[in-house]
Formats: sequence, C-alpha cells, structure tokens
Amino acid sequence: MAESSLIFISGGVRSGKSSFAEKLAADYAQEIDGQLHYIAAGQSSDPEMEERIRRHQNDRLESGLNWTTWEQPVELTKLRHTFQSKDIVLLDCLTTLLNNEFFSQDEMWKSPDFQKQVMASIMEGIEQIAQKCHHFIIVSNEVVYEPLGDRELVYIYGKMLAQLHRNIVAKAYQAFLVEAGIPLLMKGIERA
Amino acid sequence: MHFVTGGSFNGKSKWVKEYYQLKDSNHLWISFYEKEQVLVNPVLVEDPMVILEGIEVWIKDLAAQYEVSQAREKWRLFLSSWLEWENKDGNRKVILIGTDISKGIVPMHAEERKWRDMTGWAYQDIARTADRVELIWYGISQKIK
Repeated sequence: MAESSLIFISGGVRSGKSSFAEKLAADYAQEIDGQLHYIAAGQSSDPEMEERIRRHQNDRLESGLNWTTWEQPVELTKLRHTFQSKDIVLLDCLTTLLNNEFFSQDEMWKSPDFQKQVMASIMEGIEQIAQKCHHFIIVSNEVVYEPLGDRELVYIYGKMLAQLHRNIVAKAYQAFLVEAGIPLLMKGIERA
Repeated sequence: MHFVTGGSFNGKSKWVKEYYQLKDSNHLWISFYEKEQVLVNPVLVEDPMVILEGIEVWIKDLAAQYEVSQAREKWRLFLSSWLEWENKDGNRKVILIGTDISKGIVPMHAEERKWRDMTGWAYQDIARTADRVELIWYGISQKIK
C-alpha cells in the first residue's frame, strides 16, 4: 500500500456517523468518477433490525447515487478480489461484523485463540480491500466508556473492538470521531 | 502532575510508555489492576517518576469501603500526598492513568453508581491539580490541558 486509502469513522449511536461516511464516500466518488460500494454486515435477526437495515437502504436509494451492496455478515476476506482502483468502499458497521464473527460458533468466543483468529481475519480482510480500492471507509461504534469489569462477554468483546479500532486507526490516513453530527478529525489532515 | 485518560483499551499506558520513554528511564509503575496492590507511601519512593495506573480501580475500593464523604476525603489525601512528593523536587513527576467509565447507561446497582460518580469527581480533582491532561482515543493523543 503506497498511501493508505483507509478512513476510520466512529461515534455513538445516532451520532450521524453513517450519514457523514456516506457523504464522504459520495464526494470521493464524484471527484474521481468512481463507483460506490457498500458492505452490509447486518443480519436481520428481529423486526427492529430489519427496519434499521431498510432505513439505511432507503437512505442510500434516495441519495440518487448508485451504490452496489455486498452482503457480507462474516468473512470479509471473501471480498478481497472484488474491488478495483476506482472503487469507493464503505463498511457499516464494524461492530456488526465483529458481533457476527464473535457469535458464529457457540461458546468459542471464550477461547483466546479464537479471539485472535477473529481479529486477524478481520484485519486481513480490511487490508486486502484497502489495497485494492481507491478509498475504504470503515464505520464503527463507540462502546467502551463504561466499566467492562465483571461480565466476561462484555469485557472480551469490548477489548477486541477497542483493539481493532486501534489497529485500524494506526493504519488509517484519516480518523474521525462524530459527535452530534459534527465530525472531529482525530488523525490526518483536512482535505482542501 | 500529568493525567492521562480515555476509554478502556484505548492505548493509554502504551502512550505513556512511549511518550516518557520509560524503557530508558527510572520509574516506578504502580498498577491498581494488579490484585493485592499495596499502597505505596510516596515518602519511600526513590525513582524520579511514578505512574499510577488504573485510578478507577483504586476509587472502586474506596467506594466499597467508605461512605461518600469519607471516601472523598481519603482520595483527596492520596492525591495531595503525591502532589506534595512531586513538588519537593523539580525532577519528580507523577503520572496518573484513569479509564473513562462515565459514558454508559446509568448502572442499576447503587454501589456501581456510587463508584462511577466518585470516579468522575476524582478525575475532575486530578485534572484541576495536574498541569497537563491527555485524552487518548485509539492510540491518538489529544492534549486537553
């Protein structure tokens, strides 16, 4: 990777991080006359989740932009040959992908080896995609601001997510924290 | 006095180790994450630099043992004893690392609320006392004081 194409965007629930990410992607696509791709990690497990997915789909439809959607709830590495140099790829959101991987095999999440493997596989997928496309924008959630203490599952999950965030931020050329719809640039420089 | 805060596993300790190049400098690292941590009396410390990691755990112990005003008093004594130690010699430095536990939903249990409240107050005390405060977000530092 000559120059990092990776952009990391995080924020709380309903902070406007997805809208910001979609706008950023659209701006890049327009600039280079590129193609927009959306990696959807969500699996509709209940009506509320279905509604949430539909809302996001509608937003992308109504934007008038031509998004190609890739349903990839697990195994990001499967998309390693999918994208090309004029593609702008958006993954929304990383927490969903981690959830799906984390709970893919019953009680396996308790095993440190399994945890390492999940993290490595997600990072591998991210790097492979980032290498191929023009820009790879990853959206994630802020979740680790409460005591993770006594509950093993929450502790492990929070630790894994934070480590993924650290790894991605380290590789990203820009990182944003979105607060109440306002993107704060935490790493990199503002574009002219 | 330097306060370093941020969410869990955001790389606070790593940042401190790198920023102060701890590999090559004499220091005493006290972690409240380690069980059976005995409280060190500042007077006995010979290293020029002391790092107190996991302030929220120390606060949790205080909150569990004492009622609020007593716990606050114990905490203030703790903080001022380290400040006093630092002020005695221009080469001395105290670095406190505390995890931000303030942004989740309000805990159901009263003792957890008490812990969280006390941690917030304690962090305000530290930030007031410290001449420098750093916020760490996934390895990225931001000087907020």
